[in-house]
Amino acid sequence: MTEVSSGTGDGRWIDPSMGMLIGEAADQKVPEGRTERGHSEGAAPLPTWDREPEARRSDDITYYDLPVLKEPVWMWVVPAYFYVGGLAGAAAVLGAVAQGSSSSRRLVNRCRWTATGAIVAGTGLLIYDLGRKERFLNMLRVFRRTSPMSVGSWVLAASGGANSSAAVLAGTDGLLRSLGDLSGAGAGLLGMPLAGYTAVLLSNSAVPAWKEARKTLPFLFVSSAINAAASLLDLMELDDDEARVVKRFGTAGRAAELLSGVMVEREIAGIERTARAYKEGVAGSLWRGGESLAVTSLILGVLPGHSRLKRFATGVTGSAAAAAAKFAVFHAGKASARDPKATFESQRSRAAH
Amino acid sequence: MAECHPVGFRWVMEAKRRGATIIHVDPRFTRTSAVSDLHVPIRAGSDIAFLGGIVNYILENERHFVDYVVNYTNAPALIDDDFRDTEDLDGLFSGWDAEKGQYDISSWSYKGTDVAPAAGQREIFSGEPHSERGTTAGAEKFDFSLQDPACVFQILKRHYSRYTPQVVEETCGIPKDLFLKVAETLCSNSGRDRTSAFCYAVGWTQHSVGVQYIRTAAIIQLLLGNIGRPGGGILALRGHASIQGSTDIPTLYNLLPGYLPMPKATFDKTFEDYVKFNESKSGWWAEFPKYIVSLLKAWFGDAATFQNGWCYEYLPNLTGDHSHMTTVADMADGAIKGYFVMGENPTVGSMHGALHRKGMRELDWLVVRDFAPTETAEFWRDAPEIQRGEVRTEDIKTEVFMFPAAAHTEKDGAFTNTQRMLQWHHKAIEPPGDCRSELHFVYHLGLRLKKLYEDSMDPKDRPLLDLTWDYPTKGPHQEPDAEAVLREINGYKVDSGEVVEGFTDLKSDGSTACGCWIYSGVYKDGVNQAARRKPGREQSWVASEWGWAWPHNRRILYNRASADPEGKPWSERKKYVWWDAKEGKWTGEDDPDFIPDRPPSYRPEEGAEGTATISGIDPFLMQGDGKGWIYAPNGLLDGPLPTHYEPQESICENPLYGQQCNPARMEWKRADNPYHRAHGDPRFPYVITTYRLTEHHTAGGMTRWLSWLSELQPEMFCEVSPELAAENGLSNGGWATITTARGEIEARVLVTRRIPPLKIRGMIVHQIGLPYHWGSRGLVKGDAANELISFVADPNVSIQESKALTGNIEAGRKSSGRRVVTSGRPVEEAVDQTSRDKPAAAQRPAGSHGVEAGKSQEGEQS
Amino acid sequence: MGTGFFTDTTVCIGCKACEVACKEWNQLPDDGMSFTAMSYDNTGDLSASTWRHVAFIERPVALSEQQTGLGNFSWLLMSDVCKHCKSAGCLENCPTGAIVRTEFDSVYVQPDICNGCGYCVVGCPFGVIDRREDDGRAWKCTLCYDRQKDGMEPACAKACPTDSIQFGDLDELRDKARRRVEQLHAGGVEEAYLYGVDEADQPGTDGLNAFFLLVDKPEVYNLPPEPVAPRKYAAPAWASVAAAGVAMALAAVAAVAGSGRQ
Repeated sequence: MTEVSSGTGDGRWIDPSMGMLIGEAADQKVPEGRTERGHSEGAAPLPTWDREPEARRSDDITYYDLPVLKEPVWMWVVPAYFYVGGLAGAAAVLGAVAQGSSSSRRLVNRCRWTATGAIVAGTGLLIYDLGRKERFLNMLRVFRRTSPMSVGSWVLAASGGANSSAAVLAGTDGLLRSLGDLSGAGAGLLGMPLAGYTAVLLSNSAVPAWKEARKTLPFLFVSSAINAAASLLDLMELDDDEARVVKRFGTAGRAAELLSGVMVEREIAGIERTARAYKEGVAGSLWRGGESLAVTSLILGVLPGHSRLKRFATGVTGSAAAAAAKFAVFHAGKASARDPKATFESQRSRAAH
Repeated sequence: MAECHPVGFRWVMEAKRRGATIIHVDPRFTRTSAVSDLHVPIRAGSDIAFLGGIVNYILENERHFVDYVVNYTNAPALIDDDFRDTEDLDGLFSGWDAEKGQYDISSWSYKGTDVAPAAGQREIFSGEPHSERGTTAGAEKFDFSLQDPACVFQILKRHYSRYTPQVVEETCGIPKDLFLKVAETLCSNSGRDRTSAFCYAVGWTQHSVGVQYIRTAAIIQLLLGNIGRPGGGILALRGHASIQGSTDIPTLYNLLPGYLPMPKATFDKTFEDYVKFNESKSGWWAEFPKYIVSLLKAWFGDAATFQNGWCYEYLPNLTGDHSHMTTVADMADGAIKGYFVMGENPTVGSMHGALHRKGMRELDWLVVRDFAPTETAEFWRDAPEIQRGEVRTEDIKTEVFMFPAAAHTEKDGAFTNTQRMLQWHHKAIEPPGDCRSELHFVYHLGLRLKKLYEDSMDPKDRPLLDLTWDYPTKGPHQEPDAEAVLREINGYKVDSGEVVEGFTDLKSDGSTACGCWIYSGVYKDGVNQAARRKPGREQSWVASEWGWAWPHNRRILYNRASADPEGKPWSERKKYVWWDAKEGKWTGEDDPDFIPDRPPSYRPEEGAEGTATISGIDPFLMQGDGKGWIYAPNGLLDGPLPTHYEPQESICENPLYGQQCNPARMEWKRADNPYHRAHGDPRFPYVITTYRLTEHHTAGGMTRWLSWLSELQPEMFCEVSPELAAENGLSNGGWATITTARGEIEARVLVTRRIPPLKIRGMIVHQIGLPYHWGSRGLVKGDAANELISFVADPNVSIQESKALTGNIEAGRKSSGRRVVTSGRPVEEAVDQTSRDKPAAAQRPAGSHGVEAGKSQEGEQS
Repeated sequence: MGTGFFTDTTVCIGCKACEVACKEWNQLPDDGMSFTAMSYDNTGDLSASTWRHVAFIERPVALSEQQTGLGNFSWLLMSDVCKHCKSAGCLENCPTGAIVRTEFDSVYVQPDICNGCGYCVVGCPFGVIDRREDDGRAWKCTLCYDRQKDGMEPACAKACPTDSIQFGDLDELRDKARRRVEQLHAGGVEEAYLYGVDEADQPGTDGLNAFFLLVDKPEVYNLPPEPVAPRKYAAPAWASVAAAGVAMALAAVAAVAGSGRQ
């Protein structure tokens, strides 16, 4: 007789030949081969507490330093989506504005295709992050206005439609072209929330580093989106006129990104442990690195000259800065969620105000 | 109680909601302490000093319930002039027989007479029965003013006069003011209007002087008038769902069902002898013949006749002590061939697991019935000594049979709880696979044995062949009908087969059969009374229609004491049972535990016999004299009054007496059972105590194989104070190794203020807490705490001392150098044993217990 | 209207019967066998597969009306559970409609709809709901929706031996809870208070359908002191998005301005 003969070893220890698995969580999946002693699964194994259970000061209370909040379960693809989604939104806006002026039609087309491509990539990233990927269409099952993710899903879907039809119709003439421009205009309108809703998506949470920066985070996200879009366009071959548009757009984005970064810091400055989340660890490095890259990109962008190399360098540093901002915010949120004191402090300070 | 009896604890919390004060006395601050009003940390093994202190407080401050004490207890009884107290003899009572190593109790008796105890050692005395036992009606000489120096009350006062708050502090480590608060709270909550209850579990029993712990509580409760009254009593919390049931219909070697003694080979030679030595001429045990005859009729049916002494001689006879530890020691010596282990996991749950396994290695065969292949069933696979390579599996010749057992949800039957209440459980599902109930196993084993011997003409096989063994069976597995067994336990009229109404219907003429007289009535009217489930809100607050309590569905035993001598309730608030003069009978909320029509004014005439000797003010009718025994003139092997003795292994000298330990304790002086020094052993400077956790059940057979319970307490750990941790470099969450002379174990460390160091006479005493649930098998594994515990026992009930011993602790995991004593070289050198006993008691004969009595053993160290 | 829990921590004995009854009824897997050395708590927190969790707090502070030889010490025990907030962050964040409010006013995750986006996880100010990595879906206490459907009380409340967990009609529970606090105050336990009993008490969540009686700050029990459903502070963020969007459009206009004329 072996030990496992009395159960399935799935952590429930119910032999399905004897017991019925019909409970609410009976189909909750567990990893294979977990019968070995000490093999933990599900929630991450708890750390061993190496102090006395009651070793604490009355002003320094936590429950064994365990987080109050659950750390966001999202992986790297989510901030990557923030980057490409923002890029799509800003590109669509630029494209829409440009189509209404006498500027280059090629730039408009590039904006439309860039936005379309970014949305396709972004959608892929989002699906990749889902726990149940096959159910991605459920995102459009309802519209829930209290959920920025629901709002964003619809914006993203509509943007995808508008941008792709605008892009497809870009090379046409007459009525179709007008239809394309109409789509482009719609894509431009949708581009505004598309570039910024992800900031609300983050701040509409219990995570201190996100919710405490809720007023300024949209500015950071939108300006980083402008930077991202412009920087990507900078990597493409542009004529002088196009390059000037992109340079102006990018410069505005980079300057705004730097400025809104400072605004974010100021918004959370009074909340020590939340601010710390942006200063320390992975988030801190990304945050400072992003700032340096943005400064570099900004300077490179405004330096005189039209060399391809200069634009390329501007684009690369700008893209990196835009991505770093999103990853920094993402990781700051994770770090602050892990820190129970950040949660307590953020709520207590709110109550005091 | 919250730790180990959370379901019963619901009523404690209910009482607390209604204003009750909860006091918790424990070395540790447990889940019970967490919700108590008062938590008192105590040095493990010092409870008699603590409780004796309360007795002294009551007497010094005259807080006893005078009317109750004078009328219902033996406080006024005068004691034999030859009696000498421990105060006179420095820790020994009069009558110590150095040659036999036990007390001659004749000097403890009432002046000029003798009396039968209701329970206890009715049967075991040194070699011969106490001839006069049960011939007269209790004490003949009294001093109802309680002033005579020879009366129990004055003896008690002298005995406990030195158990002052100061001595309590120096012995138990309980600060004086905390002790006084307990004593005062208890006294002020007792009397006519109020009652207090004691709850205890194995924290009290598992000591070499365990029975006397409970005796001390009984003295307190009798002095305060808290017995036989609602809200009073002493509640023994049982470790399993039906441990009460397993003593009522016993799994104990020295009892027959209903607390009838097992015949002794030495003197209970015939039925007449057996009855003569066990029947009491006074009190309720005068009914004894009715119960044994009905039992024999139930077992042997038509074969049992008056002429053949009701087949009395079929019963097995005791040739000596066959208690658990004695049996295991005999096993280790190769004297026992086979062993049935049913629903128990002794290599984890009992003391000195290594010695148990050594015993099992010497068996020819072993049968284990359990839910899972426990450490006992698999002692040959990965026991510690096999893991260490000291024993090889292939060298073990024992044949092991593992039978999977059905769970309680898979069989019909009854649980008997601490209130003596039987509650029936119905089978919800067929047991899976080869799992069968115990009833099935035993019944079909019996059938096969009968079949095996059916042609035998040998007279020695008659008991088996004459045994009534005809229960109806049902279902695909031929499961015996459990209700049919219950019906037999209830009893029936032999001629008509009609069930009896209760034990008062039983006869000694062979016309009735009854499997257990105290359970008689459980199948009254042919109805399974234990299966009644009428909700409490639909009946009186006593809830007599929920389940069934023995005897006679009485919810509080000796409840005549809830009324005053005139039969009126002590108070309106505490009224329970009273005398209805108009109707001429006892009545009340509960079934009166008294002769229904005996008026309070009744006094027995001179020469009265049997139940006629029970006067109207004798609530404790099972006793020969009908009184609550503050002083036990007989029935106990280690003294008429509880006396503080140190555990076999202690960190200090006995602060009260020259006699260090219970002189009558059972010791096993064997090379494989070494003891530490009596006190102050420098190698083992700390007190160890063991206990259970809520999350696991005893030795873990029911819980360590279940993921939902295992994850809650996944590893063996020890609990130590921050001070002890600092002293020995232990860190929370790290590892520690705990050692005694018997073995060593490793455990994770939980540093907590919940197990505080205590101050005793300027010395800091550290205590180490060890839960004992883990073993080498199951989903979660760990070392078993009981590997550390020695074989030493209380003399009255042969229970081990696992709640107080000494040991050492060091940081880190097990070393490989040390070994358990049963399989490697002896760990420690011989230790001086003399300091445990005064010279008068020191020359105790070795091995005076068990079939090997008197045989000197190899490696003996005395 | 609606049903919920009142968890009275002053009578909790930490037996964990609620944890086990919950896992048994809902057939949840274990969380692995790890010894934490955090007092008697080896499961740590609520998770996707632990829907009731008992906290053990060894506290260097004495409880009022309790005396112990340990001096300033007490052991707080508390059974935690999903709060089924009136304004539930998880529900309001759920983009798929998998999380719904039931006829019993509880918050319920429909496992056949949840696509594991993880947005509820960040929306819960109590850190209750979690996504199970191997399963990919979010899980939490259902307030035994299936048992309530059949007229039974939730498994944890049923198993609780001391009635620390009380289940019932919310209005009645609130009355009961308030009376209990009064009783404790009258008995000298001044520190007893209710956590999340109603909207006035916890405006951030509009009150909890599973509320608690505590005797120390919420932080001690790992509860958030002032939880707020995220929706309640989303408006300024949307306003900022609008402003930033417009600014972006203006930046685009400025960037484009004058181009193509050369």
